[in-house]
Amino acid sequence: MSKPLKIKLHVNGVARELVIEPRVTLLDALREHLNLTGSKKGCDQGQCGACTVHVDGERVLACLTLAAQVEGREITTVEGLTPDGAELHPVQAAFLKHDAFQCGYCTPGQIMSAVACIREGHASSDAEIREYMSGNLCRCGAYPHIVAAVREAREALS
Amino acid sequence: MNAYIRPTNLAEATKLRAKAGSKILCGGTDFYPALGTAQPQGTIIDLTRIAGLDGISVGPQEIRIGACTSWTKLIASPLPPAFDALKAAGREVGSIQIQNRATIGGNLCNASPAADGVPPLLALEAEVELASAEAMRRLALSDFILGNRRTALKSDEILTAIIVPQQRARGRASSTFAKLGARHYLVISIAMVAVNLVRGDDGSVADAKIAVGACSAVAQRLRALEADLLGKPVAAELGRSAEARHLADLSPIDDVRATGTYRRDAALLLVRRVIGECAKGASA
Ligand SMILES: Cc1cc2nc3c(=O)[nH]c(=O)nc-3n(C[C@H](O)[C@H](O)[C@H](O)COP(=O)(O)OP(=O)(O)OC[C@H]3O[C@@H](n4cnc5c(N)ncnc54)[C@H](O)[C@@H]3O)c2cc1C
Ligand code: FES
Ligand code: FES
Repeated sequence: MSKPLKIKLHVNGVARELVIEPRVTLLDALREHLNLTGSKKGCDQGQCGACTVHVDGERVLACLTLAAQVEGREITTVEGLTPDGAELHPVQAAFLKHDAFQCGYCTPGQIMSAVACIREGHASSDAEIREYMSGNLCRCGAYPHIVAAVREAREALS
Repeated sequence: MNAYIRPTNLAEATKLRAKAGSKILCGGTDFYPALGTAQPQGTIIDLTRIAGLDGISVGPQEIRIGACTSWTKLIASPLPPAFDALKAAGREVGSIQIQNRATIGGNLCNASPAADGVPPLLALEAEVELASAEAMRRLALSDFILGNRRTALKSDEILTAIIVPQQRARGRASSTFAKLGARHYLVISIAMVAVNLVRGDDGSVADAKIAVGACSAVAQRLRALEADLLGKPVAAELGRSAEARHLADLSPIDDVRATGTYRRDAALLLVRRVIGECAKGASA
């Protein structure tokens, strides 16, 4: 046990203060300390993408990031994709429409990854979507529907 | 972990590093998986807020890649074609989420035999710059990586930059990288190859550098093959010059990903293919 650290995290536009051990990952800070359980823990070692969040607009893996490392950065989780009470984000709507999930465990990560993928300009063809979404695994194998959803969301957003 | 410290300049970082028991953290994409279920020990020095360590500068004498430059930033940077192989390697490091945080310095310091950044940088004859509180020194990359997860980094040093002399980057240098894995994406290499060719005025090979990774504890240059390519026409058939004897010094192992025999076979094929592709690029 090491000395707890007091840090301030900017999550979904709100400054949150928390006291944690320095070894706590961003994923555990979000889920266990801030009660934001949308980001999922699939593998906890960078291989599945279920924990994908945005840090300063870039998609990163919350399980491989220390909470303390992102102090002062803008963190966005699936809960913060749209303002409270607003309609679904076009990517969320497209996932619903195309039935792009079965169990849904990978879905928040898929959606966060897809939003960034479209913003990066890496969704121009199905092949490109497959390549640039390859960091998000789906054990239910919903891949064809995920690609269709990302394609439609890209059109809706352009 | 006794403490987590996030210095904002190099002097502060090297001073912290001089104390016993410190560990460096950059993108964290090797750091965490290496821990397993254990807790991090000692003082963790996070380098990600030191401005001078992140970014690429192209000077008249050399190209300097800050150790904390992410793969995403490197891929997006305008660099001469001699760096195409390094960029291609970066595009295959894990996923985009990994590439957004994983750094080139971390890839080298972690010194995995399967580190994709190493063969392209060996083919560029890159150097590394190491800083301690007392001194700065430079080493050839080939003298920095000593073995499986072993480097020449001293316990009080920080890797600050990767440096490629302009001489190696200029001219009609073309470079290509390919990796073989058990699937297409998000995969650790079974074998990977980087080739860097310079085409002379007469259309023949004026210079060749070839490096193979994941087939020995440290990625290796194929010097005999490099010498044999000199003077040959730069054309797609150039790859056929590679023979099994050129790979004799490799020592591929059997592991969960492939057998040594398969690796040796695959590496030869990959070498031939990548030389051919690089030659096509150089003659275009
Ligand atoms: C799912 C997954 C897939 C991956 N796929 C690949 C792949 O396909 N190819 C590949 O090559 N790698 C792969 N990696 C490994 C890793 O992403 C890369 O090696 C990356 O470049 C490491 O950089 P980092 O900044 O994250 O290093 P860190 O984890 O921060 O550090 C790695 C090591 O280097 C030391 N270190 C870091 N920076 C410095 C410095 N400036 N000075 C001194 N010491 C330093 C640290 O103390 C640590 O021991 C993968 C990792 C994961 C989790
Ligand atoms: S939980 Fe982070 S990548 Fe799997
Ligand atoms: S929907 Fe079940 S893991 Fe993707």
